Amino acid sequence: MKSTYITVIGSLPVNFDLDQARHLGPVIASANTNKSNYFDYATVNSEINMQDMLNSPSFKNSTILAPEMLYKKYIFFSNTCCLPEFPGLTSFDIDPNKCTPQTLSLLLAVYLRQTIIFLVGYDISNPTELTRLKSIALANPDCKFMYITNPPRTYQLDDLPNGYCDNFIKFQELIDNAKQK
Amino acid sequence: MQSKNKFYKYTLKLQWPAVCRNRSVEILKDRPDLVDQIEKFRKKIDNVTKIICRDSVQIDGNYLMSGVNLWFVSGQDAYEFIIRQPEFEWEITHKLGVLNELTNQLQRFDILYTPTGIQIN
Repeated sequence: MKSTYITVIGSLPVNFDLDQARHLGPVIASANTNKSNYFDYATVNSEINMQDMLNSPSFKNSTILAPEMLYKKYIFFSNTCCLPEFPGLTSFDIDPNKCTPQTLSLLLAVYLRQTIIFLVGYDISNPTELTRLKSIALANPDCKFMYITNPPRTYQLDDLPNGYCDNFIKFQELIDNAKQK
Repeated sequence: MQSKNKFYKYTLKLQWPAVCRNRSVEILKDRPDLVDQIEKFRKKIDNVTKIICRDSVQIDGNYLMSGVNLWFVSGQDAYEFIIRQPEFEWEITHKLGVLNELTNQLQRFDILYTPTGIQIN
């Protein structure tokens, strides 16, 4: 896969037509928070969410990625897939079985080597989540992390050389440009 | 393994009938009775997969001394094939191969038989 953009939908409900984001490139959902939309990939690490996703029509054509421990229990469902071993997990102090699905989605986006990662509905109100996002961003200087939010903008990513913040209007403009191409 | 845009994700190895296992090609040349059994066994697999599988199945054409590799598109078909072994009186090796579509690697998992079903380890 070699598209430039990838969109990570975090753990927060998003009031935006997420189907449009697929015009930019692949979209990764974090568990079943925004399950009324269609996604290319979805990450999950809890059994309850996994069962809900397997029974939701919107995830029928999505690749549902889970850590090996959970994946083994649902191996016979064709749209499930085992998450790859992400490099440097121990240095980030991340346990794929216990961290939030949005962290898994972010790690997957980095693993897929896309140049610009849009973070939509990504929860950074939790300090642990913010620290993890920053650690991953610092470890991947070639990726740009674009945090999409409603005004007022956040300044929490300003200390990152590859962290940016923009609003949904700019995100929509980018999608519209991609549609025209 | 890909053919006609189908993604054959799951693989299992079904063992030959006991008398046919561990036979070299040289031995098989002298034992037409074994070749005949192997041929009948292949036909049986073909018929059974047509009955129990809902999606495509590929039977590997390469000869292996221990058994024959099967590739399934659907995980539910692979499960059906494993769970209904006693019905068809055959034995699958205790390994399930799954092609990871993200990494393109074939991952091997152990199949553990329990009194109530199977577990993947």
